[in-house]
Amino acid sequence: MLTKRCTQKLPAHLYTSTPSRITMSPRLGLQLPLWGSLITPISVRSFGIRSLTPPKPSRYNVGPGLPILESSPEAALRRKANSLPLRAGAITIKKGMTAIFDPETGKRTPCTVLQLDRVEVLSHKTVSKHGYYAVQVGAGWKHPRNVTKALLGHFSAHGSSPKRHIFEFRVKDEAGLLPIGQSIEAGWFQEGQFVDTRSNTKGKGFAGVMKRHGFGGQDRSHGVSLTHRSMGSSGPGQGGGSRVYPGKKMAGNMGNTQNTVQNLKILKVDSANGIVVVSGAVSGPKGCVVRIQDAIKKPWPEVPVEGEEAVKGEATAAA
Amino acid sequence: MALPAMRPLGCLWSLMRAYEPLPMINRRFISTAYSKRPEKLPLPQDMPPQFLSQIPLRFRPDPDRQPLKIYPAPPSARKACKDPIGAVTESQLAVLDPKGERKAMFDYRRNPRSVKPGDIVRVTFKNGDPFNGVVLSIKLRGIETSFLLRNELTRVAVEMSVKVFSPNVNSVEIVQRSEKKRRRARLYFMRDRKHDRRSVENIVANYVRQKKAFLGGGNRRR
Repeated sequence: MLTKRCTQKLPAHLYTSTPSRITMSPRLGLQLPLWGSLITPISVRSFGIRSLTPPKPSRYNVGPGLPILESSPEAALRRKANSLPLRAGAITIKKGMTAIFDPETGKRTPCTVLQLDRVEVLSHKTVSKHGYYAVQVGAGWKHPRNVTKALLGHFSAHGSSPKRHIFEFRVKDEAGLLPIGQSIEAGWFQEGQFVDTRSNTKGKGFAGVMKRHGFGGQDRSHGVSLTHRSMGSSGPGQGGGSRVYPGKKMAGNMGNTQNTVQNLKILKVDSANGIVVVSGAVSGPKGCVVRIQDAIKKPWPEVPVEGEEAVKGEATAAA
Repeated sequence: MALPAMRPLGCLWSLMRAYEPLPMINRRFISTAYSKRPEKLPLPQDMPPQFLSQIPLRFRPDPDRQPLKIYPAPPSARKACKDPIGAVTESQLAVLDPKGERKAMFDYRRNPRSVKPGDIVRVTFKNGDPFNGVVLSIKLRGIETSFLLRNELTRVAVEMSVKVFSPNVNSVEIVQRSEKKRRRARLYFMRDRKHDRRSVENIVANYVRQKKAFLGGGNRRR
């Protein structure tokens, strides 16, 4: 290629008089004093692998005044804005299931009874410091001698008694940050509103593929021995790479993972006893911790300005 | 000088070890052990900050550090209401069964006059069509208390579970008591052909006729 470039640059008379010189290596040609003035300097060999399509800087996506890239934390917050609740939620304990009859229609609704116990706001997470808005909420009580000193310092700094359960509830903006020390009562939720509940499912231990993933198992007979409930092949052979692909469904620990049940209606609220009754079932055994927060797929509940103490606190926080 | 013949005596060295002087670990002079422990020197008040890095972290003065204070727990709703499901049940019973009649009618463990397994019962519903049958079992589950009725309609055995406190149940009447004392709480053996009671429609129709005559021909139902 370099020799070809040489032929193009050479004057015509030289080309005709000395054709044998043209095919010489460009490196030797550069050393000739006679040719030095005639031939433009040609780069010497370069080493290393060069890409056939070298990266080009974009002509469009550079310069000031451009929109923020969509992968930034700000963009993530903006994307989340529509799906983050306006208010914090509450930590509850699942007490069991029962049913509620409607005296007018006679309709029976299965429901789960949840109880709030000393739910209080511990601290806040803010965009400036942590990158998001959230309310840290604690519930229950734990003996101080069973609490680590670091955690005791956290409770002490925020003026709270030692809590057994601590969780965060993300909220959209700082209007949803309840004042620290505010207690969240059952009246925080209204009858008729919808909530999402988060809790851990019942643990099933180490389960086989038939129970865990609903595999079909193998034949009872037809020559199958000792592998009636096992999975078959775990992957293709040589054509498929001779390996097990990541995420292959296999036997393993089942259950005891967080599950969210969306859009459960609140049927009954008893502030004095801290009882919240939600329709339908909630994941987990009796006595498990259930976090409830306003449902993100339903319109936000209309919070009255005056009424319960907890609701009042929310209003002042919003103001 | 060790002769090869003395080699078996080498094991005797372990005996000599008992008489070796102990290493100097954990040994103090009597004067140290019996003298008073020296008091710790406090940090100088006006120490230049560049020397702070030489002090262990836990001894450095921390202006933000506050004494650990453990606050008492607020009153507990959990202690106030130990049986939340019972509380929800009570609040419903106050509406659905204010006088406690239905509860007493099916509380077969305590109330001798209650409905018992084996009795023939007639249930009327809000929508009008009654259902008759033999009581196979009574499940006492608070607000979800229910009983199972068995009958034969058009020669097909039918079973129906009725929620006692459902507002759709208008009335429950005992048509006929069980002839003999039942030794079981669940009479599921009556599903077997040998013990099947078959249809109870005749008995109930007879009862309804007698009741009408007693009430003076009116078409009233309890």
